[in-house]
Amino acid sequence: MPDPRAALAAVAEEIARLRSDYLAGLPGQLKELTSLAAGLTGEKTDAQALDRLHRGLHKLAGSGGTFGMKALSDQARLLEQTAKNWVADGSAPADAAKRTAFAADIRALPTVPDDVATPPATEPVYPLPKVSARAIRVWLVDDDVSLGQELAQLMGQFGYEVRLFTRVADVEAASTVDRPDVLILDVMFSDEGINATEAMLVRPLLRALSCPLLFISADGNFGSRVRAARAGAAGFLLKPVDVPRLVERIERIFDDRQAAPYRVMIVDDDVVLAEHYRLVLTGAGIEVEVLNQPGLVIERAAAFRPELMLMDMHMPDYAGPELATVIRQHEEWLSMPIVYLSSETDLDRQIEALGRGADDFLSKPISDARLTATVRVRVSRSRQLADLVAKDSLTGLLKHSRIKEEIATELARSRRNGKPMSVVMVDIDHFKRVNDTYGHAPGDRVIKAVAHLLKQRLRKTDGIGRYGGEEFAIALPECDATMARGIMEDICRRFAALRFVHAGSEFSCTLSAGIATSNAGDDEGGTALLAFADKALYLAKNGGRNRVCVSGDEK
Amino acid sequence: MSQLQRILYVEDEPDIRAVAKLALEMVGGFTVKICESGEIALREGADFEPDLILLDVMMPGIDGPTTLKGLREMPALAQVPAVFMTAKVRPAEVAHYKSLGALDVLPKPFDPMTLASQVRAIWDLHSA
Repeated sequence: MPDPRAALAAVAEEIARLRSDYLAGLPGQLKELTSLAAGLTGEKTDAQALDRLHRGLHKLAGSGGTFGMKALSDQARLLEQTAKNWVADGSAPADAAKRTAFAADIRALPTVPDDVATPPATEPVYPLPKVSARAIRVWLVDDDVSLGQELAQLMGQFGYEVRLFTRVADVEAASTVDRPDVLILDVMFSDEGINATEAMLVRPLLRALSCPLLFISADGNFGSRVRAARAGAAGFLLKPVDVPRLVERIERIFDDRQAAPYRVMIVDDDVVLAEHYRLVLTGAGIEVEVLNQPGLVIERAAAFRPELMLMDMHMPDYAGPELATVIRQHEEWLSMPIVYLSSETDLDRQIEALGRGADDFLSKPISDARLTATVRVRVSRSRQLADLVAKDSLTGLLKHSRIKEEIATELARSRRNGKPMSVVMVDIDHFKRVNDTYGHAPGDRVIKAVAHLLKQRLRKTDGIGRYGGEEFAIALPECDATMARGIMEDICRRFAALRFVHAGSEFSCTLSAGIATSNAGDDEGGTALLAFADKALYLAKNGGRNRVCVSGDEK
Repeated sequence: MSQLQRILYVEDEPDIRAVAKLALEMVGGFTVKICESGEIALREGADFEPDLILLDVMMPGIDGPTTLKGLREMPALAQVPAVFMTAKVRPAEVAHYKSLGALDVLPKPFDPMTLASQVRAIWDLHSA
């Protein structure tokens, strides 16, 4: 057995050699990416260059840190996100300033390792999320200026880029040059004599915006609600608007849009028909695999991992229900929806078939729209179920045990790289009072609002968990006490500015936070760090709440 | 579950290939076969009889998920545990890759000194 220390030294030496090769090639790579970026025009012809930029930046993001260049990884990741958004848009933005800034950012990517680089003093130390992902652009249309401004300001706390309009005509004018990610419309515009739910149906410029649509209204009469539904609105909220609820609605729209495509397997011996279904579903953005030999269903399912199976009832060698029973014998496929497709019209036989492993029955011939809708609804529901198992159901944050693991992992990492990390405990002030006064539903909305705000203000690399009822734990890697205090004070301020609405009355809440930061020398574990953060939280509570304390403040 | 010894690693980027091979072979003591592309993995992967498959997600040509799907269609590799490596680790994406049949997702950039122990930890969790 060779001396382990000598072996490690040999490894370190070898890594150093690879690293110097990597560093040597870096300026050339950056030069190539910079010139690609400089060549962007804002036209459709950008597509190829953008694809190469996206890949190149992705590569740097994934490799830099391995060679001791974490700053390169982090910055490349932000730029990768921009490139990815532009790829999705089909071209770089028409605004030349944005393109120039992008190229300049690439040119400025670090080419020397973190430990010898001098940190630029003017750069913000802590990149806020709005830099990392393009902010969601909201157009808010309300003829009540002061109300609109207040709403815009509150939504700004959540990182949205809000553009305020007071007239429907102004929106139509703006729609010819720009478009939002979400449109929020008041219903009544008395000056213009417009009811927005009607306007949405008849005004072509508004319809052409084709973005998610939400209505806000002082009056929730049935007629308006039905018209809103007809106009394809994703929501209808009553005034006074509960901003956290509005935010939750918007988040849900975008969560759905960023999700990976659904995967459906079609088992049908009729090759032509199966091909037709495949085309219909593929056209709806669903990934499809067709299986014409039912005997291979288990093998092929293991490879394709379908989230739903569409199955013909009558195939030459196997009946659908037999196949469904075999599939259900495999534990991992117990929860996958199976839907029969058949020309069987005998209701009794349909019911019998459902009794044996399947979830639904569609009769051939089936309209394309119905097929797509059935598949979508079933898969989306089964995804929701899977999510429930993995995450805290109310907030979508990590569960108690997972955040503790996360803190331990980050602490170990911080020991290795010698950079401090901070652990934060956050608690909602007087939460019991909220529950007692307004009930549990508003209480839950307050908890969700904290979760949304934390997710939006913290970095992707930060771990956020729901620690207990109204208590949250956060891991902030590479973040010292001063930085952590700044971040948490900002979050507390933003949270205190939020208004919640219940039964016509408004209330607001505050947060207290306790921070503990690891020191290079000490060997306390994650549990100890959490205990220190908890003590600091106690200090913040005793000091009058709505404040942030750092472990050691008491001295 | 047997011991983890043979790892098939699919990665298009030469720099990362070199340092990962080092990390897995010298630090971890594994036997590693590296494939420069999904195509090569599909051609040569089964003969190597790996205990575990590591795959980069974003590769030109056949990407990681498609490669895994192809490998899963080979009887010899249908059950071999797989782990993705990627620079993107949003929780939703991790869930997505796991739903494709991967045991776990390792974030990039990785630390060469701890990569082997991370891989081993995933393996132990899987076999437990």
